[in-house]
Amino acid sequence: MLACASFELSAARAELPETVDFNFHIRPLLSDRCFACHGPDEEDREAELRLDLEESAYAALEGGEASHIIKPGDPLQSEVYLRIAAEDADERMPPADSNLVLSAEEIQLVRRWIEQGARWKQHWSFMPIEPVKVPELADSNWPRNEIDQFVLARLQSEGLQPAAEATREKLIRRVTYDLTGLPPTLEEIDDFLADDAADAYESVVDRLLNSPRYGERMAVEWLDVARYADTYGYQADRYRAVWPYRDWVVDAFNQNLPYDEFVTWQLAGDLLPGDEKAKTLATAFNRLHRQTNEGGSIEEEFRVEYVADRTETFATAFLGLTFQCARCHDHKYDPLTQKDYYQIFSFFGSIDECGLYSHFTEATPTPTLLLTEPQQESQLAELAQAVGDAENRLQEIADQQQSAFEAWLAESPQLESIAGLIGDYPMEQIVDGKLVNRADADQPGQVADAPALVAGKVGQGLHLSGENNFTTPVGGTFSRHDPFTISLWINTPDEKDRAVVWHRSRSWTDAGSRGYQLLFEDGKLSASLIHFWPGNALRVRTNRKLSTNSWQQVTVTYDGSSRADGLKLYINGKLEPCEVVRDQLTKTIGYNSGEVETKVLTLGQRFRDRGFKDGLVDELQIYNRELTPAEVEHVHSGASLGDLLVQSDPARSTLLRDYYLKNYSEPYRMALAELRDARLKHGELIDSIAEIMVMRELSTPRPAYVLKRGVYDAPAERVDSDTPASLPPMADGLPRNRLGLARWLTDPGHPLTARVAVNRYWQMLFGRGIVATPNDFGSQGELPSHPELLDWLARTFVQSGWDVKALLKQLVMSATYRQSGECSPSLRAQDPGNTLLARGPSQRLSAEMIRDSVLFTSELLVEKRGGPPVKPYQPEGLWEEKGSATYQRDEGEGSHRRSLYTYWKRTSPPPSMLTLDAAKRDVCAVQRQSTATPLQSLVLLNDPQYVEAARALAQLVLAYAPESIETQLHYVFRKLTSRVPEEREFHLLQAAYDQQREYYENHSADAEQLLAIGDHPHGENIDPAQLAAMTMVVEIVTSFAESVTK
Amino acid sequence: MNKHAAHSELATELTRRHFFARTSVGLGTAALAHLLSNETCQAGGVLNGFHFAPRAKRVIYLFMSGGPSQIDLLDYKPLLNEKNGEELPASVRMGQRLTGMSGNQATLPLAGSVFKFQQHGQSGAWVSELLPHTAKIVDELAIIRSMHTEAINHDPAITFFQTGSQIAGRPSIGAWLDYGLGSENENLPSFCVLVTKGKGGQPLYARLWGSGFLASQHQGVQFRSGKDPVLYLNNPAGVSAQNRRMMLDQLRQLHQLQVERTLDSAVAARIAQYEMAYRMQSSVPDVTNISDEPQHVLDMYGPDVSNPGSFAANCLLARRLAERNVRFIQLFHRGWDQHGNLPKGIATQCRETDQPCAALVRDLKQRGMLDDTLVVWGGEFGRTSYSQGKLTADDYGRDHHPRCFTMWMAGGGAKAGASYGETDAFSYNVISNPVHVHDLHATMLHLLGIDHERLTYKFQGRRYRLTDVFGEVVDGIIA
Repeated sequence: MLACASFELSAARAELPETVDFNFHIRPLLSDRCFACHGPDEEDREAELRLDLEESAYAALEGGEASHIIKPGDPLQSEVYLRIAAEDADERMPPADSNLVLSAEEIQLVRRWIEQGARWKQHWSFMPIEPVKVPELADSNWPRNEIDQFVLARLQSEGLQPAAEATREKLIRRVTYDLTGLPPTLEEIDDFLADDAADAYESVVDRLLNSPRYGERMAVEWLDVARYADTYGYQADRYRAVWPYRDWVVDAFNQNLPYDEFVTWQLAGDLLPGDEKAKTLATAFNRLHRQTNEGGSIEEEFRVEYVADRTETFATAFLGLTFQCARCHDHKYDPLTQKDYYQIFSFFGSIDECGLYSHFTEATPTPTLLLTEPQQESQLAELAQAVGDAENRLQEIADQQQSAFEAWLAESPQLESIAGLIGDYPMEQIVDGKLVNRADADQPGQVADAPALVAGKVGQGLHLSGENNFTTPVGGTFSRHDPFTISLWINTPDEKDRAVVWHRSRSWTDAGSRGYQLLFEDGKLSASLIHFWPGNALRVRTNRKLSTNSWQQVTVTYDGSSRADGLKLYINGKLEPCEVVRDQLTKTIGYNSGEVETKVLTLGQRFRDRGFKDGLVDELQIYNRELTPAEVEHVHSGASLGDLLVQSDPARSTLLRDYYLKNYSEPYRMALAELRDARLKHGELIDSIAEIMVMRELSTPRPAYVLKRGVYDAPAERVDSDTPASLPPMADGLPRNRLGLARWLTDPGHPLTARVAVNRYWQMLFGRGIVATPNDFGSQGELPSHPELLDWLARTFVQSGWDVKALLKQLVMSATYRQSGECSPSLRAQDPGNTLLARGPSQRLSAEMIRDSVLFTSELLVEKRGGPPVKPYQPEGLWEEKGSATYQRDEGEGSHRRSLYTYWKRTSPPPSMLTLDAAKRDVCAVQRQSTATPLQSLVLLNDPQYVEAARALAQLVLAYAPESIETQLHYVFRKLTSRVPEEREFHLLQAAYDQQREYYENHSADAEQLLAIGDHPHGENIDPAQLAAMTMVVEIVTSFAESVTK
Repeated sequence: MNKHAAHSELATELTRRHFFARTSVGLGTAALAHLLSNETCQAGGVLNGFHFAPRAKRVIYLFMSGGPSQIDLLDYKPLLNEKNGEELPASVRMGQRLTGMSGNQATLPLAGSVFKFQQHGQSGAWVSELLPHTAKIVDELAIIRSMHTEAINHDPAITFFQTGSQIAGRPSIGAWLDYGLGSENENLPSFCVLVTKGKGGQPLYARLWGSGFLASQHQGVQFRSGKDPVLYLNNPAGVSAQNRRMMLDQLRQLHQLQVERTLDSAVAARIAQYEMAYRMQSSVPDVTNISDEPQHVLDMYGPDVSNPGSFAANCLLARRLAERNVRFIQLFHRGWDQHGNLPKGIATQCRETDQPCAALVRDLKQRGMLDDTLVVWGGEFGRTSYSQGKLTADDYGRDHHPRCFTMWMAGGGAKAGASYGETDAFSYNVISNPVHVHDLHATMLHLLGIDHERLTYKFQGRRYRLTDVFGEVVDGIIA
């Protein structure tokens, strides 16, 4: 498909290629210098000219000097050529103010391409991955597998030879780091050196791939992609327990979950058949973006940010495309429209989430997955069964009580006062800010900020300002298992689009609305019980708007069932038809210890919410039971129960029976209490189980729109979930949801998915991708250095069943990988980035590898897998000075785990890791930069983590060979570099040791101080000067370039 | 002491030219330049020279985190006192969004400042009684009253100011400058950050001085009060400077064997990397140790100057860093977020900052450094002219207000004594010469000799700029 071009190098020599290839030579130029104004973006297109589409690029022109935009074979009739070659600065393209230029060679390249017929091609990465023929090479026995044939063919065309194979020490070091993130032990090196078998190396590779350390190493790479962090990010940056996702990633790699499933689970595991929790857990991938809880933030603004992050992460991670460019306008370079962006956005927006996490509670933002242990699963099932049984028993008892009911009825019972009234506020006068409670004199109501007493429904009532309020402790602590009734006369002066009538909660979005509440919403009334709005809550809302300027009694009853059908709204004693807005309440509506709570029922106002401005309220009544409809009507009109007793319509019997059971039937009331008890036990267990944010599709998809300029409050055209037109279409049978999207993505025919994946793994091992821009496979990205090899690998990967271990094995088994990393100055000058692969990979180790290595070689490493993040050594005060939290180091084990498990706080990441170029974990990253700075040296020299490790390794080595300094130095050097020191190196080390020892013998206090750093105890019978001196030698070797190179 | 020795030894093995010609895997030209450059910025930065003659060689940016109230400091609005308690007219608000903190208030009562204003200096600028020291230097300042931004919450707003975008992942201003111009001092980072110690208020975060998609070497290095002014700077207990030198010499010998064997410039760079670390171990204490400052200079900055980590101490440290040609020095002072109890809260803030800010400008001037040092003062947004929460006779709060606020610049080519831009009588909307955050960035870069449209970094296929695709240089504030 693609000509194996060598543009990069030949351009450097300023020679024009024999055959000019559109994809390799021309599109990169057009894209980089022309597309910004003559490309896919409609908004900024100049002169109506598009050079990114074949049909418009070859269009005929009228009246000008040239006959066509591009005329194949005839540059002088091609406007494009004439303009780029124009002498006149006003004519010349690109214009001066673009700050872009084409070099003389580039202009000649365009000319030659037109002369050669100006053949157009689709952008390479959008073309299907066709079968590739493996190059056949005459008389070479260098290749070990197909990879090498591609590489060698290219080397030969450049007149180069591959390097010799790396030494065995180098090889086992390289592959052990690459596959496990740790160095080989001395025993492993010795075994390999001694293994004469032909498959000695393969045995090592197989052993490493089967090591549980493999998953930990692979996870680091993926967690950069997944922008994994232990905190939410943004300024408050609180902790969130998402580590079960991290552990899932480790397991997935260790179990070698095929890549297509790995991707599908993360994108849409919740939509896969079956109820395997791990599949839903994997979708936490989509929720790892930053989230805010900053007071006063506009919820929708941030929800849009979250969905945008999911969209862009999807594109970067799986498609290698720079989607974010299309958020505000059509993409400038690639065939991706703004509409394409929002069609993908639509896939990721359809979950029941809030744009803000809760400040006052520790609720996990919905949707969530309950992280039950297997034994909790069975406990939960038992308790749920008990609730079901209690509900059945209640029904049975109700049936059994029929004759008792009829007997009661036959006695023509008289109306008694309604039971359960615990708060009764006539609101007649305010004394010292207090208002009388007729039901309990010890629990008066009180007002803040002086609401006025005005004529009410009965006598006086309160006039609210929207800022002032009435509160009472009565009714301030109902749980979701407690039946209750709250009744209030209200009179609204206008149609409120939002107003708080009453509530028990700390706040609105600042608390995820935790509690219960009665609100005006768009003129209607809504009653809710909420754990975290919107995903864990009950809400019913009246179908009609409440009339204004008249007194109406609003009664809310709740039966303790945690179901929307147990929550009822009555207006003037009559059940009001309502729509169910949410019916998913599974966790507490109260406040846990450590959360900021409020134990009062408040009328008229809420923190940072809209109050009941100029609303009138009167006659508040609170009952600690669910009133029956008959009672509600009675509370309203005073006479209805008596009326019912003398009426004989069919409703009478039902209403009265309900009234009877709840008021007079002792067996029924006992069964009801048992049911509450069962629900409480079930609820308590659920409340004790942690949750994690995941994806769960809304039953009705949330509509999505193109957002003008990418801004949340500027919706334009409505869009449906769909894939970009420039990529293969979604098959007809696929659902238009995330699962369909994942199926589309992992279709073997997809041009990008496999290319992007194999490229990233190639990069992981070789330091540089075959496409050097793993985040950009678009027309502004780098072209593949070995296009056929990339496609061959991608096809093989798909054909293997997306087998990641097989792919990595193939890569590390190649002769290409096994080459020595050393090279001559001339080769380094010719190919500084090792694009041609005439030598083996030898990069600096990653931040994690450097830290893990010193822990491992000093035997301080605690190899415990998984679990909550740990807090190792970190300079004091870093969290505190940024104002968000206190850092308490975990002594012992927590300071010595693999770096993968280090607590990653986004606003204050572990500084030594950042200094060593770890990814920042704010946004998806598929590539790390590698730098060399003095600050890195300071970390290795002075960070207590490294000093302690140096001390521990020194101690090990002294114990290992107490008598022989030669053995000791060899041991240290080998442990850290995996090789034996050369003689000159050995002498240097020995001299260093002698000097250091002399120094510490003369400075014994220094030795004691040095040996006191860190948690690790130092042995009793060790000469401090000797140990301190060896510690310094270990520091020297740790800082030695080879020790931090793979 | 060993600076020259290390360099000459290196030089014998590898000339600089040789070195740059053979940049190796994992070590970009910029990184090498960073390590080895002891010349001017041309050697270190990607720009390879200025676009035009710079007016400022360095910047000291005094970031007032939280959003200081322009109405109580520098944007005098007597009408608000006349209309104190009256509802904010809809004709002024024009339907603009408010935060969720005051947006649901039943009323939005206008709140005049309780502080008195007077005109000062030749320029006659109105300054609040809260800023007596700033009032004395108004003729050095270019006061911009027409700043505006897009973000209404702290995190996006401060991120916008620091990186030119509300979206995470972009480099901060100082990182852009380091990337573009490199370092002028091989012994100190070119981008230093000083955060006032012990302040409450809106949290800050490392991202604000981070390098975003640029390499991590461009990130700001925080100078902290206390034992380790730069993280990990000090040798561990039991390792003396003498022993560190000995140990580094031993390490260098080991590396030199490696260089001889491999001729690998990455290994040579490693020697330089450790040597620079060593030099920093003395150059940083040298800059943070103020024992050589005469008493009259300390007195200028006020009594807090002797309290390490205070804003006053940081201002003095900023001057000392500027003297050593650190290019971008940024101070952060938290606590300007007066949603309630503004009169009391802002008075404390001003007590902590007014005198040191003025002293810094005067100190730079008396040393002849103000001409080529640009000082910038301001927060991430302004505050509302209506009261958040209850308005009483002597108390009120103000919510975030992105639509207008005040900043000032001094020195480094900023026009002394200028007042630029105007807000309406409510300090609610800009009515003339608006200056957007992007414009401010463009202007700062301009004063540093950089065309903001030509300092770009190609990432994910796009040439990114600090100013995105916006920004106009504000000529009216340039001398």
